[in-house]
Amino acid sequence: MTTTTAPTKAQHEVTYLEAISEALDEEMARDERVFLMGEDIGPYGGAFRITEGFQKKYGEWRVLDTPLAESGFVGAAIGAAMMGMRPVVEMQFADFISCAFDQITEVAAKNHYRWGAAVPMVIRAPYGGGVHGGPFHSECPEGWFFHSPGLKLVAPSTPYDAKGLLKAAIRDPNPVIYFEHKFLYRRLKAVLPTEDYLVPIGKADVKRVGNGISVITYGAMVHLALEAADLLSKEGIDLEVVDLRTLIPLDKETIFNSVRKTSKAIVLHEDNKTGGIGAEISALLAEECFDCLDGPILRIAPPDTPVPFSTPMEEFFLPKVSDVAAAARKLAAY
Amino acid sequence: MPTDIIMPQLGESIAEGTIVKWLIPPGGRVEKDQSLLEVETDKVALEIPSPAAGYLTEVLVQEGQTVPVGTVIARLEEVKPSGVVNRVAGVILRHMEPTEGGADHYSPAVRELAKEKGVDLARITGTGAGGRVTKKNVLDFLAKGGTTPTHPSGAPIALQAAMGHEGEGEGGGEEILPLTQMRKTIAERMVKSRHISAHVVTFFEADFSEIAKFREGKGLTYLPFVIKAVTRAMKDVPVLNSSWGEQGIILKKDIHMGIAVALEDGLLVPVVQDAHRKGLTQLAKEVTDLAERARTKRLNPEAVQGGTFTITNHGGTGSLFSTPIINQPQIAILGVGAVQKRAVVINDAIAIRPMCYLSLSFDHRVIDGATADRFMGKVKSYLEQSDWEKFL
Amino acid sequence: MDISTEIKRADLLQMYYYLRLTRTLEDRITALYRQGRIVGGVYTSNGMEAIAVGYASALEREDIIAPFHRDMGAFLIRGITPGEVIAQYLGKRTGPTRGKDGNVHIGDLKRGVIGFVSHLADNLPVATGVALAFKIRGEARVVVTNTGDGGTSRGDFHEAMNFAAVRKLPVVFFCNNNQYAYSTPLKLQMAIRDVADRAKAYGMPSEIVDGNDVAAVYLAAQRAIRKARAGEGPTFIECKTMRMHGHSEHDSAKYVPRELLEEWKKKDPILKAERMLTQLGYADEAAFREVEERVKKEVEAGVEFAEQSPLPEGPEALEGVFATEEELKP
Repeated sequence: MTTTTAPTKAQHEVTYLEAISEALDEEMARDERVFLMGEDIGPYGGAFRITEGFQKKYGEWRVLDTPLAESGFVGAAIGAAMMGMRPVVEMQFADFISCAFDQITEVAAKNHYRWGAAVPMVIRAPYGGGVHGGPFHSECPEGWFFHSPGLKLVAPSTPYDAKGLLKAAIRDPNPVIYFEHKFLYRRLKAVLPTEDYLVPIGKADVKRVGNGISVITYGAMVHLALEAADLLSKEGIDLEVVDLRTLIPLDKETIFNSVRKTSKAIVLHEDNKTGGIGAEISALLAEECFDCLDGPILRIAPPDTPVPFSTPMEEFFLPKVSDVAAAARKLAAY
Repeated sequence: MPTDIIMPQLGESIAEGTIVKWLIPPGGRVEKDQSLLEVETDKVALEIPSPAAGYLTEVLVQEGQTVPVGTVIARLEEVKPSGVVNRVAGVILRHMEPTEGGADHYSPAVRELAKEKGVDLARITGTGAGGRVTKKNVLDFLAKGGTTPTHPSGAPIALQAAMGHEGEGEGGGEEILPLTQMRKTIAERMVKSRHISAHVVTFFEADFSEIAKFREGKGLTYLPFVIKAVTRAMKDVPVLNSSWGEQGIILKKDIHMGIAVALEDGLLVPVVQDAHRKGLTQLAKEVTDLAERARTKRLNPEAVQGGTFTITNHGGTGSLFSTPIINQPQIAILGVGAVQKRAVVINDAIAIRPMCYLSLSFDHRVIDGATADRFMGKVKSYLEQSDWEKFL
Repeated sequence: MDISTEIKRADLLQMYYYLRLTRTLEDRITALYRQGRIVGGVYTSNGMEAIAVGYASALEREDIIAPFHRDMGAFLIRGITPGEVIAQYLGKRTGPTRGKDGNVHIGDLKRGVIGFVSHLADNLPVATGVALAFKIRGEARVVVTNTGDGGTSRGDFHEAMNFAAVRKLPVVFFCNNNQYAYSTPLKLQMAIRDVADRAKAYGMPSEIVDGNDVAAVYLAAQRAIRKARAGEGPTFIECKTMRMHGHSEHDSAKYVPRELLEEWKKKDPILKAERMLTQLGYADEAAFREVEERVKKEVEAGVEFAEQSPLPEGPEALEGVFATEEELKP
């Protein structure tokens, strides 16, 4: 007689969204200091259902429905974190993080530097476009915080990275903004390890090894780059796709190793072009990797406009596979 | 509503094309059917007419780049673009001009590598934009064992300098002509054809007296007559209008005659469709038109498609005999030498006649010498017959 | 109300001592500033000392304060020494922020002081977070926070008050209503006269006290703190007072009517305290002089300590951006 073991939850394929949910659940179970704050995360389960069932499991005081007051509840998270708690704040949409800009950049970011008080807090920010969200539900705000010393910023592109990075963020003693890409929520699936694992903050990941051109990117754009790589491989153009995973602190070593090998670089992101993180990476390559360059550094990013709503305009706005292919062909021929 | 410009299919088995030159500047105005860009495929360079009027707002594929058929290579907008749209099509890429005896452009990577490996960059042919030396060029050079020879004292020196030279700058003794796409294609195709077919050449001589008599005052060149004779002979020996196939020799019903046209920097083979159905006048007209368009790069993509046999008029440049290379996937090519008055023996007496050597290069996989000679015998007799009126 | 039954003699004397210490320290810092020996701005609580001394005296050791820039008395009661304060002003390595921040931006978790930022009212949501932690963990601890009349105009005030009231958090909101926010008089700051009116909008109880009467402040604080500790939620306490100096010591405050200052000079908190103590028979002139001498010596010792202390090296500016895991180990 044989028996079949029912597969455990973690052995199922999970979506990117479920991976985030699992990370929260596991960390809350593991560490009683971890608690959640945000709008509609309680009985409603969150705008994207990430915390569905959590309040039932962990109680009202660990899954707090806050008033509509981002500055207020981010400030509260800072205070609680200083008292030794591990708050995870949910921004309903990353776009609303601007309401809490002051608390994040003036209080959280500068706290430890000024008087040695750590703020072990995580802010989860569902960001990115391609969902017909218009200017206030599609923003990529990472650029604003990239420039605030004292914050760590992470942006996973796969379910594996999403789970591991969120856990790492929760366990990090610093304020971490966790950018989860809403377009990827239900579009990506993966089988994840059953045991507890972390993805280290500050370490990029080469998602595709190649010899021709390095594409340095993060978030949903990683998948765009991979698609372009498949297309271009048929033309003899071999892309290496470097997924940053962490924006601050940047993994300069992995970036430079890649560009030293290929000598050609494209930086690709979904945030607006001017002053986006791509500008920083381009400058870094020019400053610290100049001798390894066999061509100019190209940036692919949306134009400097808010995210438009109407479909043809949003499609125009967002980078496409053809954009990556065109830039790669240009660079390959140089 | 923007118009997509796509890489056209320029031949039945052709899967890609190379952009040779954009004829309209970025943002410039183009009218419908006005030539927009030059594309190369196989040995053919063609100008592509614009499918619509508009402004060339996005150039997505650059000169020198090869892309698959169907790739969107540019976009036209109806409205004149205003201001800079800083997205990827507007990516600033320094346009590389080929250097002319001045300082060469070497990228940091190239300089580093050359320094590290002790390579004299002047020795390397560049295949990058504007003919610049790329990192790959240096790596390839090293892989072939290329190094700079050293002075007995141990210091590396430039070979050119040691040899002494005339001419500009530091590169004397040799001059590198960068390979055009057409040259590269011709090179590839010619060598490939030699590898595919078992080339054998058989030479015949034909008396062009009747042709010369007939064509007087009619403004016809010899070529339409040759085409007519060949198409007639192909009806007698149909296997000459075929292709080699693994399953068997593929006999083609219709004769589409390729006519080789010399260009200043290469050659093209436009095709006269259904040549067997056309009279001398029409053949002459078409050949003239095709040659003119080929030379001015105004050939339509269809014009080089589907040839089943090729005639190359090497006599036009003074050559008597030739061993031309077969135009794959055809099985033979006819070279027509110069028509020269020669002393020949007719009925045991010496006569002066306009004679022409015909060189048939054929694929011995498909036909044997006897078949080739039988065909050529027919060609000769059709050329020497006098009843040309009915073929006008 | 009979003070003698409400407050112990020793506690009142202690409060007087801290009033004096605060005044003497801040006067000394002002003098150093005028001598050009202090870098940056100087912000004092001159004339308003009773508020910080009053509420800080009502707290237990394990409670927390989240003050703003006119709470020197609270720092001192929490155990920040005059030497550390002056070192901070001088940008020395021995100050609580080791030169990273200046003037009264003092913070130290060990002594229960939340370091505030220049953006007024930012400390209020942070205070609610501190209280939230206590509530989640079921600890009988309280946090007292403070801001000025100007600070209550900001959104963070609204969001903090609301959140604290909704969740019944153990936080006490003080307001130092000194009638001027820099040069902006109260009537340009708000359309109401009593800031405490606002508490009603949040469903939060409030009190208005004489901010220059240390005993009144102390008792109001004590009431609110007890309430919070008992799980009954937050209270808003408005302290009426007057800003006797400029917004900072560089500000001559010519925009304040002379008469107003004359009027409030008579209500000086130290004078008031001395009157009260004399009336209660707890102290006399000699006792007051003795305290004055004592605090003078303490402050001088602080000045010496600060001036002997080293400045940080330039490259120390690069340290401490991020916290390490080791630091957080208990």
